[in-house]
Amino acid sequence: MKLPRFSRKTLCIPYAVFLVFFVIIPMCVILFYAFTDRQMHFSFSNFLRFFSDPTKLSTIVYSIVIALITTVICLVIAYPVALILARSKLKKKFVILMLFVLPMWINFVLRVNALRELFNLLSQSEALSWLENANIFKTIVGMVYDFLPFMILPLYTTMLKIDTSLYEASADLGGNAFTTFFRITLPLSMPGIMSGVTMVFLPSMTNYVVSDMLGNAKVTIIGKFIYEYFGSDWHMGSMVALVLLIVVFVSTLLSGGFKSEENVRGTNL
Amino acid sequence: MKRNKIFSLALAGAMLLPTLATLTGCGGEDVITLRVYNWEEYIDEGGEKTFIFDELHELDENGDPLLDENGDHIHIESDIVDDDYKAWYEETMGHALSEEGPRILDDFCEWYERTYGQKIQVEYSTFGTNEDMYNEIILGNEYDLLCPSDYMIMKLAAEGRLEKYDETFFDETIPENYYVRNVSPFIAEKFATNAGLEIRSDPDGGAIYWQDYAAGYMWGTTGFVYNPAALEAAGIAEDTLETLGWDVFTDSRFKSKITAKDNVRDTYFAALGVTYQDELLSLDRAADDYIPKLTAIFNATDDGTIGAVEPTLMDIKSNIYSFETDTGKSDMVNGKIWLNYAWSGDAVYALDLAESGKSEDGEDEKTAYLNYFVPEAGSNLFFDGWVMPKGANKKAAQAFVNFMSMPQNAMRNSYYIGYTSVISGEEFEMLDYADYLYGYYPEDEFEEGEEYDEPVDYDLSYFFFGENHAEDEYVSIPAEPEQAEKRQLFAQFPPEDVIARSAVMDYYDEAASIRINELWSRVKAETLEPWTIIVIVVSVVAIAAAVLLLKFGSKIDLFRLGPQKGYKKVKEERA
Repeated sequence: MKLPRFSRKTLCIPYAVFLVFFVIIPMCVILFYAFTDRQMHFSFSNFLRFFSDPTKLSTIVYSIVIALITTVICLVIAYPVALILARSKLKKKFVILMLFVLPMWINFVLRVNALRELFNLLSQSEALSWLENANIFKTIVGMVYDFLPFMILPLYTTMLKIDTSLYEASADLGGNAFTTFFRITLPLSMPGIMSGVTMVFLPSMTNYVVSDMLGNAKVTIIGKFIYEYFGSDWHMGSMVALVLLIVVFVSTLLSGGFKSEENVRGTNL
Repeated sequence: MKRNKIFSLALAGAMLLPTLATLTGCGGEDVITLRVYNWEEYIDEGGEKTFIFDELHELDENGDPLLDENGDHIHIESDIVDDDYKAWYEETMGHALSEEGPRILDDFCEWYERTYGQKIQVEYSTFGTNEDMYNEIILGNEYDLLCPSDYMIMKLAAEGRLEKYDETFFDETIPENYYVRNVSPFIAEKFATNAGLEIRSDPDGGAIYWQDYAAGYMWGTTGFVYNPAALEAAGIAEDTLETLGWDVFTDSRFKSKITAKDNVRDTYFAALGVTYQDELLSLDRAADDYIPKLTAIFNATDDGTIGAVEPTLMDIKSNIYSFETDTGKSDMVNGKIWLNYAWSGDAVYALDLAESGKSEDGEDEKTAYLNYFVPEAGSNLFFDGWVMPKGANKKAAQAFVNFMSMPQNAMRNSYYIGYTSVISGEEFEMLDYADYLYGYYPEDEFEEGEEYDEPVDYDLSYFFFGENHAEDEYVSIPAEPEQAEKRQLFAQFPPEDVIARSAVMDYYDEAASIRINELWSRVKAETLEPWTIIVIVVSVVAIAAAVLLLKFGSKIDLFRLGPQKGYKKVKEERA
């Protein structure tokens, strides 16, 4: 009996199986449910209901805005940190990096719960009592707290890889700090920014555990919407999920996630 | 039952699958399997904090077992888990009672084998919400026994997904039929009349009643847990709550100090209470059609009602501190909020917790005394019951229901989960249980000369004899006046007048379900003005354009427009 020849392609089989069962089939099921009614007949009614309902459109827009704010804040905080860490000559900068990454090792529900208690404690004082009903503010703080490491790490790894001789060259050629930053650091760290943005923006549109616990369930983002629809109406739930999928697809396209450029390699965690 | 939901939420969010904590009881060869699907933490799971363990061990004031100098538990005698109870246990299970608190599922397996001569194992899994359970069923997961709430039982029955109980199940002469002999006459009546509701869309055309499909397990009311000390500090008299009733949800004095439930069923019900309070109060309570009318108001889903309730829901949303499923109890205990809309079993839990001076995690907190009230205009009466999906092993499932209906077992479950069992007991065993929990005998507790409140007679006749009991059919327990009026006893064994003004939830048919869900999504989500949407969409597109620009910024060259003097630009070569 002739055994099938083992080639490198054989190694792909587990992943292919995974892909079929956990990506392709579920996608087809979502697509099927989104375009059927309760009698399982083909129908555009969910589609029409979605795009004629201001509440659903608002929720999508609302989630995008919350995710955008989260992403921008994360970027503003993470960029200098990553830059300083990557450039510093500290021997123990590994430790500092760990300080940012360590929280990721603790269960995320636990961390959000702890943050909730912290806000409760703070809002007991007179000066901070506005915190009590600042649901959107608390949600965004929670999201930033949760996703900051996902921004720092890709930025840090990208910046580490920037050849220091480029900075020397810039200095030699009379470039000031400003020029060096905009001509060298920023363009070369772009892949890191893109991968960080993708890793923060997309999950913060759907992470409703944060918005439920810190926003007192008064902030409704698209993930919660999908969850609630799946309690009663799978077809509408699938339609919302499908629209979200398209939003995700477009934003990934924009951030260049589908390009097979060399410099992207290794920066996605 | 609805505790710890946030963790299942987190998991569900991670994989969009319900959590299935599968526990398997007993086992062996040549055994049949009974697949039970129940609420989380809704059965006696053995060990510490169970009825049997707590009764037979010395406990400190927090309910943790005390240890002697060798580090062992200290055994004590109990008035209720007494020699009779132990003898009953030995006779039923075939071995002596373990003082460490046996698991009730293991006991069932032993009893089943002794009674029917057939080995059995229980595959026990749990769900967090009725809707999760329903999804599992329609996905084709097979179970022998489920424990949904009233409205979900009706939905499942109306869709023809349930098996009827056998006629022999209701035969009182068969010794193994513990359910029918021990169930409270009051519950049996409610089931038989279906609280005035019929399941409407019967597939076979006739009226179907849920007593054919369901056997009760636990029941309770919904109401408000409140913090009297906090109200007093804010200058609000306690009787204001009685006057306000459902309006506490929209009263500005409770702004950010009250919570609603984060599910459409309970909050819509509450909003109906707020909207139609005057109408509910003006109903004639003596009239024969009082309960049907009350039930109709609390189950209205027509467009007119939804239109009237929507502004109320918006008011509720802006007045409450949060929508919650799980956090209300701890927020109540630590004083964050003053009022919490709660199921009675959760209320008992919150009251006990506050009294123990501990938080849910066992941290020290100030001891607080919380109370419970049910609006005068009427509230919700709920049941969780055992039903058998199509294709279930009916014999084993019905045996399971019967086993759980033995009063000695009902006590164990009720003690463990804090809700009230539907069982009253042939010999009124559950009256002894209520007396053991709440009986008040001040002459035993106080020294002579000390002052104390005289106990009041707490009437429980309706539960043991049915709502229309004769004059001489009267049972009661002596209770502390506070307990009888507004504390644990009142919550766990509601008095007859609370029951008399409570409505059972109906299920929503398909069209109503869509209307209610749309309403809920409008309430929960922010609906933006069209121009806001447009502005935001335009700015998002602008940001996207900026991103693209940045990405190809090096090609466009923003920062150096042309070559410096004396230099020529040569064609760039890119690697």
